[in-house]
Amino acid sequence: MKGRVRLDDVRKVYRRLAMRGRLQSLKGALLHGDLVRGLKANEGFVAVDGVSLDVAPGEAVALIGPNGSGKSTLLKLISGILKPTSGTVDVDGRVTALIELGAGFHPEITGRENVLINGMLLGLSRAEVETKLDEIIRFADIGEFIDQPVKTYSSGMFVRLGFAVSVAADPDILLIDEVLAVGDAAFTRRSLDRIARMRREGVTLIIVSHDLDLVGHLADRAVYLKQGRVVLEGLADTAAARYRSDVAGDEAGNEAASAAPVRVIEEGRRWGNGDVEILKVSFSSGGVAMRVIPSGADCTVHIAYKVNRPVTDFGFGLAWHRADGTSVAGHNTFLDGMEPVRLEGEGEMRCHYPVLDLAPGDYVIDAAIHAREGLAYDYWCQAARLRVTSAVEWPGVWAPDHRWETDRAVFSGEGTASPTR
Amino acid sequence: MEALRVLWRHRALVVVLVRRELAARYRASLLGYFWSLLNPLMLLAVYAVVFTTVFKPRMAGAQPYALFLFAGLLPWLFFSGALLDAAVTLVDNGSLLAKVVCPAEIFPAVTVLSHLVHHILALPVLLVALAGCAAAGWHPFPWTIVLLPLALIPWLLTAGGLALAISALAVHFRDIRDLVANLLNLLFFGTPIIYTLHGIHSHVLWELLRLNPMTGLIRVYRSLAFGGYIAGPLEWVIAMGTGVIVWLAGAWLFGRLRDTLVEAV
Repeated sequence: MKGRVRLDDVRKVYRRLAMRGRLQSLKGALLHGDLVRGLKANEGFVAVDGVSLDVAPGEAVALIGPNGSGKSTLLKLISGILKPTSGTVDVDGRVTALIELGAGFHPEITGRENVLINGMLLGLSRAEVETKLDEIIRFADIGEFIDQPVKTYSSGMFVRLGFAVSVAADPDILLIDEVLAVGDAAFTRRSLDRIARMRREGVTLIIVSHDLDLVGHLADRAVYLKQGRVVLEGLADTAAARYRSDVAGDEAGNEAASAAPVRVIEEGRRWGNGDVEILKVSFSSGGVAMRVIPSGADCTVHIAYKVNRPVTDFGFGLAWHRADGTSVAGHNTFLDGMEPVRLEGEGEMRCHYPVLDLAPGDYVIDAAIHAREGLAYDYWCQAARLRVTSAVEWPGVWAPDHRWETDRAVFSGEGTASPTR
Repeated sequence: MEALRVLWRHRALVVVLVRRELAARYRASLLGYFWSLLNPLMLLAVYAVVFTTVFKPRMAGAQPYALFLFAGLLPWLFFSGALLDAAVTLVDNGSLLAKVVCPAEIFPAVTVLSHLVHHILALPVLLVALAGCAAAGWHPFPWTIVLLPLALIPWLLTAGGLALAISALAVHFRDIRDLVANLLNLLFFGTPIIYTLHGIHSHVLWELLRLNPMTGLIRVYRSLAFGGYIAGPLEWVIAMGTGVIVWLAGAWLFGRLRDTLVEAV
């Protein structure tokens, strides 16, 4: 199916030949003819180490992680620029990789000619590029400059034209490596807009970014990589939270040995440094513990915790998802403006919802206790599940109290809007 | 064969890139494409003056000498220029290679083809010179020159194969360009371009020069462009065979190195 990307146990090893190694292999090449053998040395820098990934058509997946974690290498492997050392990369459909905008523009020739060449490099025919030329020029917003040599362009014009050509190639799969940060705010907004449009058209998106907010905004799913391996693969927000926590933990660890290192409590679902532990997450309605709550009733989430080492920088957070992963809501005590003082002993934190106006279905809740900068004391994904029921099968996630009105008697009776209430 | 298939599939791109190469070279220059004509014209003028007034080489079958020399230099300049540029083409296009998915073969191919275009643009100078000499009665016009495209086939294949090999090796060993430049110098004097084989009296040297594959190529070319006769079938077979073998070897080497290129540029 067009737009599918499948990686199976992919490994990429960069050869690292020192100058002496080079000379040796040149000598070897001339004396023993083992040039190819020399170049395929298995020792070297392992950039990607056994990564498997399955991206469905139309899905948006982000690759996140610190520098040198293998994100960009992975993107180049998917694009076909690099070949894996072992494992298989299976890509179905036309791929466009936005790795460097305007890469390959020749400074001496005009924008128009460069667009033609770049478009053809991306797999378009000459005629296709020519029919899209007007659209490209309009998006790049460079007017008459299109007939000037590219070396006269401002850097903004350069990247706009590069972006416009790349997305005009009608890819089934769009790979983006941190290129949206290069332009000004207007360019970023317009390119994000364009990417959103392509998403709606069913284009598969794989994005590498350090901007975790952007990742949460653009991607359904994220893969958190570290040293070439997958640390966590999950919902974009979850993976971003884990990455933030690790970064904050590393920083705290560097400043002083005050904070314990973040460790994995349950693979892919729960991590934290153990200073505070979440004992249990549960629900109640009307003061009674429940696992099934009717839509429109009140609801309280209870987080029972135990403090192993008193902390002064802390906050509680909750994230609601549908069982299929759709994000529903999220809030934490920092966003709600609550200043932490000191947390110790055992206790319970409660979050109260006067009216739970969710559509019927199964919901999953993530609960976390973490420091302001993200360091997780205990971050527990899918800590509890809740079933919401209703007499009417409202679609979507929101089932608000509502009423239809009209001045004319076109209906009989009053109806039963919000029937559960 | 793989290289040939890739190039054929991307032929439209190759054509556009060749045009870019030519356009970029003459952009912002006063005379533009005229340089392609002017460079060989100047060369011919210098040779004509030097070899009619300063030296007067008396070699059988090489008169007028300036014209003989010019007809041999043209394909050689195409050949050596293509190979020297091939040594830097992948490095120069490294940003495309590493940032955009495109087959690496096209860059050495574009290099060779753009030098071929220069060569073809220089041919009118040769034609005019030949016609001039014929009109003056110094040298009969070699009508065999209409067959010149045939002689260009082995030149193109040989240059192409070597360009593939050199471009790929140069990515790993950056000093290849200097090596190539020196080897080309050696080869220039080891090939009967400024002399004819008839002038060689040492038997050993004569045999050595015969063994040089470029000898066959130059003789096939010059017999048509200057001599006015068609070289014997054996010479054609040797020239064509050289082209095919060099192309296959170069393409094979390139194929072996292809996967290592992107990482190294």
